Order: sequence, then C-alpha cells, then structure tokens
Amino acid sequence: MSAKKLTLLALYTTLALSIYAVESAIPPLVPIPGIKLGFANIVTLFVLSRHSARDALWVLLARILLAGFLFGQGISMLYSLAGGILCLVIMSGMQALLRKHFLPLTSIFGALAHNIGQLLVAGLVLKSFYVISYLPYLMLSAMVTGLFTGLCALMVNRFISPHIKHLSSE
Amino acid sequence: MNNSSFPKKTALALTGLLLLLAAGCILWLILAKGPSDHCIAQIYQDGVLLESIDLSRVEAPYEFTVSGKGGASNTLRVTKDSIGIISANCPDRICVHQGFIRTPLLPITCLPNHLVIQLVPRDTVGPDATTY
Repeated sequence: MSAKKLTLLALYTTLALSIYAVESAIPPLVPIPGIKLGFANIVTLFVLSRHSARDALWVLLARILLAGFLFGQGISMLYSLAGGILCLVIMSGMQALLRKHFLPLTSIFGALAHNIGQLLVAGLVLKSFYVISYLPYLMLSAMVTGLFTGLCALMVNRFISPHIKHLSSE
Repeated sequence: MNNSSFPKKTALALTGLLLLLAAGCILWLILAKGPSDHCIAQIYQDGVLLESIDLSRVEAPYEFTVSGKGGASNTLRVTKDSIGIISANCPDRICVHQGFIRTPLLPITCLPNHLVIQLVPRDTVGPDATTY
C-alpha cells in the first residue's frame, strides 16, 4: 500500500469515526435495540464505490476497532463486526450486480444485511429465539435508513468526488 | 450510457424484491397477535427462564430486581396485564425507554445485561410453567 493510499484510507477512517461519534451522541430514536441511523456506512459505501471492497474493508475494520476502544461497550464491537462485515459483503455483491449504479439500492440491501447480522449475534448472545420478533421492525427500519445513507453517498459521489478526483487516481 | 452498463432490469427486480419484503414485514406485524388479556411474562437471562408471571393474576403492582453477571442489574415493575423495566445499570437504557409491554408483539430486551422479557398468551403455556 502506497503512502498516499494509506493516508487517504486513514482520512476516510477519521471521517467515518467522526460521523460515528456524532451519531452515538444522538439519543435512540425508537426504543428498539438495533435501530440506528448508520451514517458511518456512507463512508463505507463511498469507499466501496470509488475504490474497492478491500479498501472499504480496511476502513470499516479500522473504524470499528477504534470506535470499540474509544467508546466501547465490549460486546458492542461484536455486533458492529458481524453487521458491518455482512453489510460489506452484500454491498460489494450488489455493486458488482448493479455495475456500480443505484447506490441507494445497494445501501438498502447492505442495511438489511447489517441488521440481520446483528440480530444473529443478539440471538447467540442472549441465547434466545425471541429476538426474531424484532426482525420486521429491523427490516423496515433498514429500508428507511439504508435509503437515506444511500442517497447521501450518491450526493457525495456526485458533488464532492469531482473535487477530489486527483486523490483517488492510483 | 448504454443498456449493458446500466442494469435497469436488475435494479427493477431488486426494487420489487424490496417492496415484497416490506409488504411481508408489514403483514407480519399486522397478523402478529394483538393485545391479549391473559399473558404470561417470561423473564430470561442468558437463555435461562428465571421467572414466569401470570400478568392477569397480578393484584397489586410490585417491583423486583434481576441481577446478572458482571454486576448487571435491572429493576422490573409488574402490574396487572403489563410489565416493564423501570431502572437498569446498562449503558444505553433502551430497555427502560421501551416502557411497559402488554402484548406479545415485541419483547423487552436488554442486550448489555442479556435479559429478555417475553409475553406469551396463556393458552400456549402449560399450567406447570406458571408461578402464581
């Protein structure tokens, strides 16, 4: 990895971590565990669409590890990892399928995968099958928040990318 | 942009799939059992059933505290036909914000303290599982 690439990915990580920090200061919108806005995914989606799945994975892992150390609640890192990695896998599949178009659609499927991943971990941690009751709520909220973060990533791609084009040329 | 690089059909199919999924979720929530007069509250910690309370037989409201590993502590309040967590030492307190539940639709979950409170209609639980 070149110094330039490393710096760029570090900048993306900082951005994602800042968004994550701001978001965790917002009180929960609905009293259902697992429902959150997921704005940090804007950065993952952006890196995925502008660079590669591997770069997005680096940024994602760095963000989750740093967030875990900075604001960690121990087990929350496990939820983030399961959700984040499943989300990235699905999103990179969707990007290949959609040939890098339709970012909001990619983002919605990513959000769905993220919530399913978290629900699976919750089921394992709680050793309870009842968490399945949360599935419809989590799916519906993923569609709304996924659409929103996808639109944000689309805007970033359209309005900011042209100004930082020289940064992504590797 | 030509059609081969702009997979419109795939996108349409995926959007359709999403709409179906959304409809399915809404249907699930509608069809799920609504308010029930005779619910049993089951309190699980780490997958172990700690207590089972017949909410329709609660005469006077009462409170008790469930303690778990690592100093986890949740205080529950039980009233006739409803149950809720009124205080907890978890970081987010989502369980407290959820308030009182009286239907089997959504269990109260405290993820940090590994606690689940699930209501089940009485007719699906055998009499042996109930403490009066």
